[in-house]
Amino acid sequence: MNLSQTFELESGSTRSNQPYICNCACASREVSCSSPLPPRRLSDLRRRLHRRRLSPHLKPFAAQPLCHRLRSSEIPSRSPAFANRNSGALLWNLQHLVVALEQIKIQTMAGYQSNTYNNQNNMWNDGSFGSYNVQHYPSYSASCASSSQSSSSIPGNNSHLQYQYNQWPTYYNHPTSSVSAPATEHLSTNPPVHSVAGGYPYASSQPPPPGTTSWGRGSSASGFPTIQGTAEVAGQNLSSVWEARPPGLQMQQITQVSSYLQKPLETNPVSDNSEDQQKNIVTQGSNLQLSSTNKVSEKFQPPLQTVAMMDTHRVAKIQIPTNPRITSSLPLATPKAEKEIPMNNATLKPAYINVSVSKLNNKIPSHDDSEAIFKMETFPPSLRAYVERTFARCKDDAQRAANKNLLKEMITKSSTDGTLFTRNWDIEPLFPLHIAISDKADQNNMLNSGTVSLSIRKRSPTRRHKSRWEPLPEEKLAEKLTPASNEPAKGANWNQISETETVADTRKHEPKDDGWGRGKFFASRQQNSLNKVVQRPVKKPRFSDTVLTENADGSSDSDKEQGLTKYYSGAMALANSPEERKKREHRSKRFEKGQNHSVEYKPYSPKVAGAGNFHSRRASSLMPAKNNDSSSSKSVEDIDRHALTVRGTCQEIEKCYLRLTSAPDPATVRPEDVLEKALQMVQASEKNYLYKCDQLKSIRQDLTVQRIRNELTVKVYETHARLALEAEDLPEYNQCQSQLKNLYAEGIKGNHMEFSAYHLLCMILHSNNKGDLLSSMARLSAEAKENEAVKHALAVRRAVLSGNYILFFRLYGRAPNLNACFMDLHVEKMRFEAIRCMSKSYRPRVPVAYISQVLGFSRLTPTEESAELVDGLVECEDWLKAHGAVLTVDDSGELQMDTKITSSSLYMPEPDGAVPHGDANLAVNDFLTRTS
Amino acid sequence: MAYLSMGEAHRRITDYLSCFSAALLSQDGPSLTPLLLVSSNSPLLLSVAHALDVFSEWPRLVDQIDDQVQLFAEIVSPLLRCLQSFRAGQFAEAYVSFEKSANAFLQEFRNWESSWAMAAMYTVAHEIRILAEKADKELALLGKNPEKLQAAGSFLMKVFGVLAGKVSKRVGALYITCQLFKIYFKLGTVHLCRSVIRSIDTARMFDFEEFPVRDKVTYMYYTGRLEVFNENFPAADEKLMYALMHCNPQREANIRMILKYLIPVKLSLGILPKLWLLEKYNLIEYKDIVSSLKSGDLRLLRHALVEHEARFLKSGVYLVLEKLELQVYQRLIKKIYIIQKEKDPSKAHQVKLETIVKALKWLELDMDMDEVECIVAILIYKNLMKGYFAHKSKVVVLRKQDPFPKLNS
Repeated sequence: MNLSQTFELESGSTRSNQPYICNCACASREVSCSSPLPPRRLSDLRRRLHRRRLSPHLKPFAAQPLCHRLRSSEIPSRSPAFANRNSGALLWNLQHLVVALEQIKIQTMAGYQSNTYNNQNNMWNDGSFGSYNVQHYPSYSASCASSSQSSSSIPGNNSHLQYQYNQWPTYYNHPTSSVSAPATEHLSTNPPVHSVAGGYPYASSQPPPPGTTSWGRGSSASGFPTIQGTAEVAGQNLSSVWEARPPGLQMQQITQVSSYLQKPLETNPVSDNSEDQQKNIVTQGSNLQLSSTNKVSEKFQPPLQTVAMMDTHRVAKIQIPTNPRITSSLPLATPKAEKEIPMNNATLKPAYINVSVSKLNNKIPSHDDSEAIFKMETFPPSLRAYVERTFARCKDDAQRAANKNLLKEMITKSSTDGTLFTRNWDIEPLFPLHIAISDKADQNNMLNSGTVSLSIRKRSPTRRHKSRWEPLPEEKLAEKLTPASNEPAKGANWNQISETETVADTRKHEPKDDGWGRGKFFASRQQNSLNKVVQRPVKKPRFSDTVLTENADGSSDSDKEQGLTKYYSGAMALANSPEERKKREHRSKRFEKGQNHSVEYKPYSPKVAGAGNFHSRRASSLMPAKNNDSSSSKSVEDIDRHALTVRGTCQEIEKCYLRLTSAPDPATVRPEDVLEKALQMVQASEKNYLYKCDQLKSIRQDLTVQRIRNELTVKVYETHARLALEAEDLPEYNQCQSQLKNLYAEGIKGNHMEFSAYHLLCMILHSNNKGDLLSSMARLSAEAKENEAVKHALAVRRAVLSGNYILFFRLYGRAPNLNACFMDLHVEKMRFEAIRCMSKSYRPRVPVAYISQVLGFSRLTPTEESAELVDGLVECEDWLKAHGAVLTVDDSGELQMDTKITSSSLYMPEPDGAVPHGDANLAVNDFLTRTS
Repeated sequence: MAYLSMGEAHRRITDYLSCFSAALLSQDGPSLTPLLLVSSNSPLLLSVAHALDVFSEWPRLVDQIDDQVQLFAEIVSPLLRCLQSFRAGQFAEAYVSFEKSANAFLQEFRNWESSWAMAAMYTVAHEIRILAEKADKELALLGKNPEKLQAAGSFLMKVFGVLAGKVSKRVGALYITCQLFKIYFKLGTVHLCRSVIRSIDTARMFDFEEFPVRDKVTYMYYTGRLEVFNENFPAADEKLMYALMHCNPQREANIRMILKYLIPVKLSLGILPKLWLLEKYNLIEYKDIVSSLKSGDLRLLRHALVEHEARFLKSGVYLVLEKLELQVYQRLIKKIYIIQKEKDPSKAHQVKLETIVKALKWLELDMDMDEVECIVAILIYKNLMKGYFAHKSKVVVLRKQDPFPKLNS
C-alpha cells in the first residue's frame, strides 16, 4: 500500500493508476511479510524527491555536452541526426544517459523539468526516472561504496525490502535492454554490475566480430542489468538465501558454469535472468556507457533503418546460443524454488487477468488511425494518399497499429529533416509490413527463446495480438516457435519487427520510444508477479505523460500492458516443457554456429535456411534502406553499411569479375575459406594475366563486400599487385598499392617493406612530384631504411635523379623482388639519356660493346660471357640504330658509335606499343599480346 | 578560476553580445576583430568563456539580442559555443562551431559593400586555420581522421572567391592565399596551390604591388618554396630574394625561414654563403655542405646529408642538396686540374681517369673506372666541365680556356 502510494506520488500524475494500485496491493501482500517499509521513511523519501525536483539547478546543457562526447566518440557520423531530433524520445534518452553519468543525475532531472526545451515529456521522464534513480541507488549504496552520491540523495537506511522493490522496475527493463535503449542505460547506473562485468573472463573469449563491436557491446550491456536482476530475484524469492546469492552470481559469471545459479533460475520465472546472464558472458562487457549512448542514438533512427535492425538481429543471435545451458540448468532447480514459482504465478495471475482489457487491442488501432489521419490534415495530399495506401494493406487491427507506428516514425523523421513536403510520396515505396509482422514473431522467439518465449505459451491465445499475424494458430505455440525461428531469412527486418511489435504490444505506452516500450514488454514477460507489482507504479507516471504528448493513447496504455504482461507471464511456464527445451537446444545450436559473424546476414545453416532465404532476407533488409534513401538526404549516411555487408554462400572457386551495379547477392559471394582457395588457384594458374586479373578482381570484390580485412586480404592485394607489375598493368597496380597502404596502416601483416620499396620506386620513376617523393622518404622508418629492398629503391632513386646510368644498370642487375619491374619501365628513358650524355661528352667514338655493357644490354656474367655478350651486342646495335645513333666500324673492326654525328641525330622513337589515343593499356589487342 | 556569480556571467555574455552586435551595426572593424580571436588568450574572451560555463542558458541571451544583422545569431551562437569548447580543450568541436560561425560571417561579409570588415575576415581566416590544426591534432590523437585542416582549406577557398570577386575587397585576397599556402604546405597538397597562384599571377585584376607588404613577402616565400620543389632555381632565387629583401629585418625567425630555402638555391647556383650568415641564423646544418663545395670533399657532403637527412627531408631541400654532388665532383676535378697546371701547364688539360679515381680513393670513396667515367660524362653533359672524354685512352680532355665555367653565368 505504502509503496503504491509512493509511486503514485512520484509519478506526479494520478491518471489510470487503478491497475497498478491493484498490483501493488498484491505485491505488498506478498512482500510485506518480509519487511514493510516504514511509512515515515516513505514520506521522507517523497519529500526529498520533491525538493530535488524543485532545486534550482537548471542545467540541461551540462548533460548534453557529455552525451555529445560520448556519442561522438562512438558514432560521429550520426550526430547531426541526433541533434535534429529534439523529440520527447531524445529528451528521454538524454536523460537516461545522464542518469548513466551518475554525477549529474539529479540536477538534470530538475533541469529538464524547468527547462524550455522540455515539453510534457519531462514529467514523464522525471516521474519514471526519479523513482528509479532514487530508489535504485540506495540499494547499491549499501553494497557499493562508490555510489556515495546516490546514497546521499536517499536515506541510506532504506529497508532491504524497498531496495528490492525499487530494483525491480529497473530490472525489468534490463532484459529488454538488448532491444531498448533505456534499459541499457540502466546498466551503467549500476556500479556493482560494472564491476562484475569487468571481471568477466569470458568477455574476451567471444569478442564481437569486427565492425559489429558496438552492437555487441550494446547487447552485452543490456545483459548486465539482468544479472543484477537475477540477484534481486533470488533475493526476493528466497529471501533467506538472498545474502548468499550475490557471490554465487559472481562465481557463475566467472566460471560460466551453468549449474551454479540453478537455484535462482529455477526458483522462478527467472530462468530468463539466467539466460541474460549467459548472454553477458557471451558478449563483451566493456564500455557500458558508450554502448548505451550508441543505443540511444540508434533508437532515434526511423523504424525502417537497417541499422537498428541489425541491432535486434544480433541481440537475438547472441542470446540464443545460451539457451542450451539454460535449459540444462533447469532440471537442477531446487524443490523449494519450484514450489515457489507456481505459487507466485497462481497468486499473482488473478490480478492481471482482472485488470487486463482484451478489447483494447481493437480499440487502439482505431485510435491510431484516427490520430494519423488527424495529423495528416497538415500534410501534403500525396502523403495522405500514401498513408491511405499503407493502411489499405492492413488486414487487421494489429497490422494497422503496426502500420501506423511505422508511418509515424517516417513522418516524424521526414518532418524533422524537412523532406516532408519535398519528398515524392507518390513514388515512395510501401514499407514491407507483412514481413515485419511475421518477423516480429521471429524476433519474439529469438529474443525470448530462452525463458521469455516460454511465457508465450502460457498466455492465453486470445491475448496475443501478434498471433494473428503468425502463420500458425496460437494453441500450437510450441510448434510455432520453431518454424518461426527457423526462418531467419526474414530476420533482416529486425527493427521493423520490433517496431511493429511495439505497436502491438508495448508501443502504446511509449509511442516515442520503443526501447522503453519493449523494456516493459519484456519486463512484463517476467511473470514474476511480485516484481510486476512493483514495476507498475513506477511506470505509470510515464504513461500519463505520454498521454500528454500523444493525446490519445494514454488511457489504453495500462490496460494494454496488463494484457501483455499477462500474456508473457503465462508463457513463462511453458518454457520449461521438455519439448520446448529440446527445440530451444536445437535452435541455439544452429545459432551458435553463426554467432561468430554476428553482424552479417549469414547462412545460419544452409540446410535449414537455404540460399533462398538469404535472398529474401537481404531483400527485406534492403527495402528499408531504400526507403531511407529516398526519404531524405541525411538518411543516406544513416544507412549502416554493416547492414549491407554480406556473408557469402557461394562455393565456386572460380568467378568472373563483374562490377556491381546493385547490392551484392550472398549467393554469388564466396566466403573467406573459398576465397582462400580461389587465391591459391589463381597463384597456381597457368593462364595469362588477363584471366588472373579478372579472378583477383572478383576475389577483391568479394572481400570488400564482406568487409574482410585481414591477412588474406593483404595476400590477395599483394598477389595482384605483383602480377600487375609483371604485366606492367600500372592502373591495377596502383589500386592494389593504395589498398595495401591502408591495410598495412591497420597493422595487418604482409610484405610491407617490399611494397614500400615499390611505392618509392613508383614515386621516383613515375611521378614528377618531388614533394611526394620527399614526404614518402621522410616517412620511412629506420627499420625500413635497413631493408634491402628499400635500400635498393633508394639507391635507384639516387641513380635516376643524378642520371648515373652506370649505377642504374648495376642496380637493375641485382634488383630484389620485383623492383626490376619498376626499373624496366624506366630503362628506355635511362638509356636514351645515357646515350645523349655519351654522345655529348665522349669523343671521338664509343665502342658499342661498352655501351651494351654499361646500359644493361648484356650482362657480363663470367660463365656465359661470350654468349650473352653477343646477344647484347646485337640488341644494343638495333637499339642504337632505332634511336638514330650513327655506328661505324673502326680500324680494328670494332663497332663504334660516332658521338659527334650521333649527338645531333639522336631521337626518341615512338614506343612500340604507341596508340593514337596515347594509352597503350587501352588498346586491347596490344594488351592481350603483351600479357598472354 | 574565481567564483563567478550568475549575474556577473549574465552581464559578461550580454556585454559581449551587445559589443558584437554594435560592431556589426556600426561596421566598426577594429572593435569587431578582437571579439573573434577565439584562440588568443585575450582576457575579454577568457572571461566570456568562463561566463558561458557558469551561465549555461546563454543561447537564450543570443535570441534576446535585437539583431539588426540578419545572420547575427548564426554568427554568434556557434562562435560562443566554439569559445566554450575551445576553453574546455575540445578543439574538434570548437572547430566545427567556428566553421559554422565563419560561414555565416562570410555570407554577411559578401553583402557588405565596403571592406570595413577586412581585418575581421583576416582574423576569421587565421583563427579557422589555427583551430583546424589543433582539431586535427586532437583527432589524430583519438585515432580519427584529421580532416579539419582540409575543411578549413575549402572554407578559405570560398573566402578567396568572395574576395577576388570584388574590387573593394581584392586587397584581402593575398592574405587568404597565404593562409591557404600554409594549409596546403602543412597538408602536403602543394599542387593545390597552383590554381590560387594562377589567379594571383595571371589575373589582370590583381596588381601585385597593391597588396600589403606582409602578404607579398609571405606569398613570395611560399611560391619560392614551390619553385625549390620544382628545382627551378633561378625563379626560386628571385622569389626568395624578394621575400628576404622585403621582410621585416627585425624578425630573425622569418629571415631564417627564408634563408633555409634560399641557401640551397644559391648553392645550386654556385653562390656560397659566408660562414657568419649561417651562424647568425643558426643554419649550421649547411656549414659542412658549404665547406665540401669549397674543398671538393665529396665524403663531407655525403656525411652532412646523412647527418641532417631528416631535417632536409622535412624542409624539402634534400634533393636539392643531393644534386650538389656534381658540383663537388667538379670542384675535385678542378683541383686536380690546378695541381697539374702547377706541375706541367702544357699537359694540365688532360686529366687521367686514374687520377680522379685515386683522388676519390683518398676520400675513402671506392669507385671503379666505369663509375667515375660516367660521372665525368655527366659533368661534361651538364656543362659543369668543358671538354670531352676519350674512352679509348680514359682521359678527360679539358678545354684550354675556362674549362670549369661558372654556374651562374
